[in-house]
This record gives sequence, C-alpha cells and structure tokens, in this order.
Amino acid sequence: MNDLSQASLNAFQLLFSGNDDLWEVISLSFGVSFSAILIATPFALVIAFILAFFQFPFRRTLISLFNTFMSVPAVIIGLTLYLILSRSGPLGDLRLLFTSKAMVIGQIMLSFPLLVAMAHASFQSADRRAWETAITLGAAPSRAFFTLMYEVRFGLIAAIVAGFGRVVAEIGCSMMVGGNILHSTRNIPTAIALETSKGEFAQGIALGMVLLVLSLSLNAGVSIFQGKGELQA
Amino acid sequence: MSSLIDYKNISIFLSGHSVLNIDHLAVPAHQCTLLTGKNGSGKTTLLKIMSGLLKPNSCTVHYQGLDLPWKQAKPYIQKDIIYLHQQPYLFDASVADNIAYGLYRAGESKSAAHHKVMQALDWANLTHLAHRSAKQLSGGEKQRVAVTRARILSPRLLLLDEPTASMDSDAKQQTCLLLQRLKSEGVSIMLSSHETHIIEHIADRHLHLENGSLKHIKQATTSGKVTSLNTIKNTP
Ligand SMILES: Nc1ncnc2c1ncn2[C@@H]1O[C@H](COP(=O)(O)OP(=O)(O)OP(=O)(O)O)[C@@H](O)[C@H]1O
Ligand SMILES: [Mg+2]
Repeated sequence: MNDLSQASLNAFQLLFSGNDDLWEVISLSFGVSFSAILIATPFALVIAFILAFFQFPFRRTLISLFNTFMSVPAVIIGLTLYLILSRSGPLGDLRLLFTSKAMVIGQIMLSFPLLVAMAHASFQSADRRAWETAITLGAAPSRAFFTLMYEVRFGLIAAIVAGFGRVVAEIGCSMMVGGNILHSTRNIPTAIALETSKGEFAQGIALGMVLLVLSLSLNAGVSIFQGKGELQA
Repeated sequence: MSSLIDYKNISIFLSGHSVLNIDHLAVPAHQCTLLTGKNGSGKTTLLKIMSGLLKPNSCTVHYQGLDLPWKQAKPYIQKDIIYLHQQPYLFDASVADNIAYGLYRAGESKSAAHHKVMQALDWANLTHLAHRSAKQLSGGEKQRVAVTRARILSPRLLLLDEPTASMDSDAKQQTCLLLQRLKSEGVSIMLSSHETHIIEHIADRHLHLENGSLKHIKQATTSGKVTSLNTIKNTP
C-alpha cells in the first residue's frame, strides 16, 4: 500500500516535472489517434450518409456488416494487419510494420466501423425534409450534404469522439503492428503495459491517469453531444 | 390559356402499387391551382414529382419549348420550381439565415443578400422574428418563413403541400395573404388542401385526384372566378 501511494506521488511528479519520455509517449498517442480519425472520418461520413439516404442492393447487408465489424477485437485487427504488412505478406514491401504509420492504419481499421455505424444512426435520425428542402432551394447535392451534416452535427461529433476514444485507449493492435519501440511507436497503452511489467509503477500510473482522464472526458463528451442531439429532435 | 409547364404520362409505383397515372397535367401560368384528394390519394407524391424531388416511373415534361424526359428536365424544373412541405423544414439557424439559404446559389454578395433578406422579412411582416432560432417558431410562423424563403429565389412555380393544415384561423389567414400576394406578383401556385373553403377564393382552378388520376377540373372563367359547375374531364 505504501509502495502504491509512493508510486502515485512519483507519477504526479513525473507528469508535472515535464518528463520528456513520458510526454513523448503521450504526444505520439495523440498524434497517431488524431491522424487515424482525421483520415477515417470523411470517408466514414460519406458512406454513412449514402447508407442512410439512398436505396441500393445489399444496403441492409452493408449496414449489418459495419455493425458487426464494430465488435472485432483490436488484436484480431492487429493480427490481420501484421500478416499483411509482415515481410512475406502482400504489402511487406512497403516496410510499414513497426512504424507509427502501421499504427495509424490499424486504428483507421479499428475506428471505421464504429464511425460509420454511429454516423449512420445520426443520419438515419435526420429529417428527410432537410435534404429535400436544401435541394428544392437550389443547393447542389454536395452543399445539401453539408447542410444535413450541420443539422445532425451533435450526433456526428459524438461519433467522432467515440471513435477517438476507442482508438486512443486500445492496446492490442498498436502492440502488434507498432511493436512498442521507444521514440517511435510507443504510445500510452503499450507504455503502461511495459512499465508495469518492468515494475516501474510510477510511469504506468502517470500514463494511466492521463488515459483515464482522457477516456472519462471523451465518454462524457459523447453523452453530452448525444443529449444535445436529442434535444434538437 | 398558356401553360407554364406540362407534365405528360406521369406514372409512379410505390412498393409495387400504382399510385399515380396521369395523362396530362398542365400548370397554367400566373394562376393558382387547388389540388384536392383523399388522404393517400397521391397529392404529396404528385407535387414531389412535379418539383423534381421524387423520381417517377415515367413522365415527360414540356417546359420552355422543350420536351424532355423527367430525368433530363430535373435541373430545369428544380431551378424554377420550389416545393414546400406540409410541415416546412427550417434549418437549425436563425430565421434570417434560413431565408438567406437559397441566395448562396445565386452568388449574391453578403451585403446584397442581407438587404434582400431584410426586404423579404418586411414583405412577410416577419421582421420581428429575424434573429429568432427557427426551430422554436410555431407551425404558422414556420410556414410563413418557408414561403418567404422560397419567394426570395423568385420561383416561377410554387408547390405547397397543405399549407394551412393544423393552423388556427389567424395563421391560416396570414398564410393565405402571403399566397395571394405571391400570385399577384406573377408566381404560379399549386397547392394541395383539404380545406377548400379557405383556399377557394385564391384558387383559379381546382383539380381532384382520385384513383391515381386527375378526375375533375373546375376551370376558371375569364373573370378569374371559379365556376364549380364547369366540370371538365381531364382526359384529352
Ligand atoms: N415511400 C413510399 N413507399 C411506399 N408507398 C408510399 C410511399 N410514399 C407514399 N406511399 C403511398 O402512396 C400513396 C400516396 O401517398 P401521398 O403521401 O402522396 O398521399 P397524399 O394525398 O399526400 O395523402 P395525405 O392527404 O394524407 O397527405 C399512399 O397510399 C401512400 O401509402
Ligand atoms: Mg400528403
């Protein structure tokens, strides 16, 4: 118990004394996850919109597919991506394995189904009249799309925040395709696992606190935005 | 009487059922046409096809000297025809921003747009609502904002789906007043309604939708008054 409280105290010191290694890990985590969400979101929004507003064959199947893929465990995605990116894999020549780019790709794969499914639900809840009104008032389809996104913005923001929350905290995929290399692919979750296994509890707790605060605030953010969306309706 | 636009052979199937089957629908210029029909008779469907929002199974459009299939006519009709929902949809923005929405397409400068919006608000006696959030308006106010938002784009034909449904008599009167003004400005109007007694004094013509086709037309006489005895079959 004494050890633990001492470790926690040290954790605070580490965080606020500006320990370089610690903050490098934190900024890498953010960088990778932001990039992944930034790349995934535009595609996910367009797909979600098309799924919600147009009729075409296999639409239902696609929707259930995205919903199903939401629950694929991160390590499975990590494993798949590992096999694809490894030397003998189909994309082995790209030499991406154990780079932060591989982590970004993994997190894109991880967040994509969630983004599509949640954005689809938002667009589904949007009023068809919003789209028709924009069109009849002379908006080009692209502008009508932006208008519609604005109308359901709270739901969409909730989707993006939830997507970020999922990837920033996941460990399985980052560990497999990133490899937890210091100064290069070590992010918060993989660092926590490593430091703790080495007995460096202070480091682990410090990062754990950052991640916990982040996850809690992201989750709070999701429900706040979803609540706003409901008030709107 | 010259018609603004003609629709021929309109047919549409929804979930396998034939909803509309109309040989010929002529919309006269500068007039107001009343469209009646029971619930589910296809009024909304017809107005949406006419405005280019709903794709029919077949339809040719005669407009501005061109005979085009509906799909090719769509850009032209969307440019000049505006459809207003039974319960108009106002965007999550202020009343003034809602009215300005369509001006974007015309490439108006900001100050010119602002000026037009202020004029339009004045035209509709809505100036006091300019900065209110559109989502908070009453049904009647929303309808008038929607009419104003359409008018500012100078459409040639305005299609209104039951514009006076679920309104109190005051709101009905104000909406009718705006429609009357629009008509006197030369905008052609077609509106569906169950409340013939309210619309009748604006309407020059009366079409009735039954079993998917337009059955009766009460034509306008030369004086513009409706003669209800003058019933003509709409089949050529
Ligand atoms: N998307 C759709 N899919 C299947 N059937 C539809 C669809 N939209 C409308 N219908 C059917 O088409 C018919 C005409 O509907 P429409 O809404 O045009 O009637 P309406 O005259 O406007 O009725 P109301 O007076 O109630 O507004 C109805 O039988 C309706 O059930
Ligand atoms: Mg209707």
